[in-house]
Amino acid sequence: MSLAMPERRLEKLSPSAARHRPWSPERGHALLLLPPLLLLVAFFVIPLADVVLQSFAGPGHPLTQYERIFTQSSTLQVLLYTFQTAATVTLCTLVLSYPVAFVVSRAKGNLLHLSLALILIPFWTSTVIRTYAWIVILQRRGVLNEMMLDWGWIERPLKLMSNGVGMQIAMIHIMLPFMVIPLLNTMRGIDGNLLRAAAVLGANPLRQFLSVYLPLSLPGVSAGSILVFISSLGFYITPALLGGQKTMVAVLIEQQASRLLDWPMASALATVLLVVTCLLFLLYERAMRFARGGKTVGEVS
Amino acid sequence: MTDPRLWRILSYGILAFAVLVLIYLVLPTLVIVPLSFSSETFLSFPPPGFSLQWYDAFAQSLDYRIAILNSVKIGLPAALFATVFGTLAALALVRGHLPGRRLLSALMIAPLILPQIVLAIGLFPIMVKLGIIGSYAGILLGHTVLAMPLVFITVAAALKSYAPTYELAAMTLGANRWNTFRFVTLPMIKPGVIVGFIFAFAFSFDELILAIFLTNPATRTVPRLLWEHLNYQMTPVIAAATVVLLVITLSMLAIAAVYARTGARKPSGAAS
Repeated sequence: MSLAMPERRLEKLSPSAARHRPWSPERGHALLLLPPLLLLVAFFVIPLADVVLQSFAGPGHPLTQYERIFTQSSTLQVLLYTFQTAATVTLCTLVLSYPVAFVVSRAKGNLLHLSLALILIPFWTSTVIRTYAWIVILQRRGVLNEMMLDWGWIERPLKLMSNGVGMQIAMIHIMLPFMVIPLLNTMRGIDGNLLRAAAVLGANPLRQFLSVYLPLSLPGVSAGSILVFISSLGFYITPALLGGQKTMVAVLIEQQASRLLDWPMASALATVLLVVTCLLFLLYERAMRFARGGKTVGEVS
Repeated sequence: MTDPRLWRILSYGILAFAVLVLIYLVLPTLVIVPLSFSSETFLSFPPPGFSLQWYDAFAQSLDYRIAILNSVKIGLPAALFATVFGTLAALALVRGHLPGRRLLSALMIAPLILPQIVLAIGLFPIMVKLGIIGSYAGILLGHTVLAMPLVFITVAAALKSYAPTYELAAMTLGANRWNTFRFVTLPMIKPGVIVGFIFAFAFSFDELILAIFLTNPATRTVPRLLWEHLNYQMTPVIAAATVVLLVITLSMLAIAAVYARTGARKPSGAAS
């Protein structure tokens, strides 16, 4: 709250100050950035730096926690499982999303609005709510088991909630919009004439797709994949409720911090997650720049 | 060799697949709706009978009432702050020519991308030191930081949708910076700002992980209450509460969509 004072003064200052100086449309914009930047530094950058510092604290030499992470088979397994799950979820959402984005990108009018609504409604539905729905569907006496029992497909209810299968199904469902939206953005920018040109030159639809459409849609594929992969790595709600014995790293961090009160360990795990996410975020940024400047790919150094 | 009929069948196959995926996207969530009208205590499907008892229990529940009030008390100011800060950042980074613009833009979006658990672990000790752990101020600041990128993205998109020559024209005609913003920029980006505000509110209303770390039972929000109920007692009251929340979220989305559409029309109308 103490931040509010100097910010307000800056806002008042910038227009009047600009009047007396040589005129330039860009003047004063740097000052506008100050309040959001201060907020981010105070409650985003400093907390994250604190996490990294905390990970070196605690008894023993600074790298004790990291040694524990990479030598204890249980934590190492959680990390590996997290990466494996994130990869599986990313691949499955990509396979499911690509045809959807393709079809929707060619839709027009009301059909387009309807399909966009179908994609955006789940996007804005609470993850807690969507995970709850999956519990209802997947639990031992849940919708799916009851239905399959009624139809005689199975003899006994399947255990879908303790082995990570249910968790992955739910995560794929929750992540789908994050894949469809970037794909859709890229595909809507692809010039249909290029495909027609390929057809005129004698390429069959498969060839048109493989050598024209697919390469042009790759920026969307990479942007969506990185986004889904990052989000899956840090996923907490669904693994906590549906994971059963299989734990993901975010759940482990929460357990270490609030149940075992092992703050250095939680910080070290969070730092690992932070570093991986930052690296992937840089990749994402690059992919997005590619996606946006689709026509000037050659100019991007 | 190329049989056009084969390609047509294939294209219908892709269409059918896409329709199935769209159904998969929406259907699971709707399972909750019949459940909320169930006459049974257990999660049984299909529900054996119809009753409104869970909605009644939801309406009577003091816990839910307090949680909804908390969510609004936290969500509205958080969305407001996020809107002001996000708009400032978008103005500075889209209209200004700052050095390191790309890096700063990445920093503005970063809170949205970073796993919230990491920020929660980092914010907790700081909020303890500041003495605002468990208070409205603590969670409000956290949600402001997390929701700011949403406003930044929508407002930056709005700013990029028209040329800065409008502002140049106003300034050439003698408008100062504030008047240029008030009478030219703000009307142009208003739909983006409003959509950003709605997104920010919806985000805060749904956010769970910071709420787990930064709120206490007196300030807990709806997602945290739902979370606690999911972990300890699973009654169809959750289903009733969920359906109510779903309706609220969807109506907010509808409002946002209407604003976005009128906004998309206005600048193009003004440009022609």
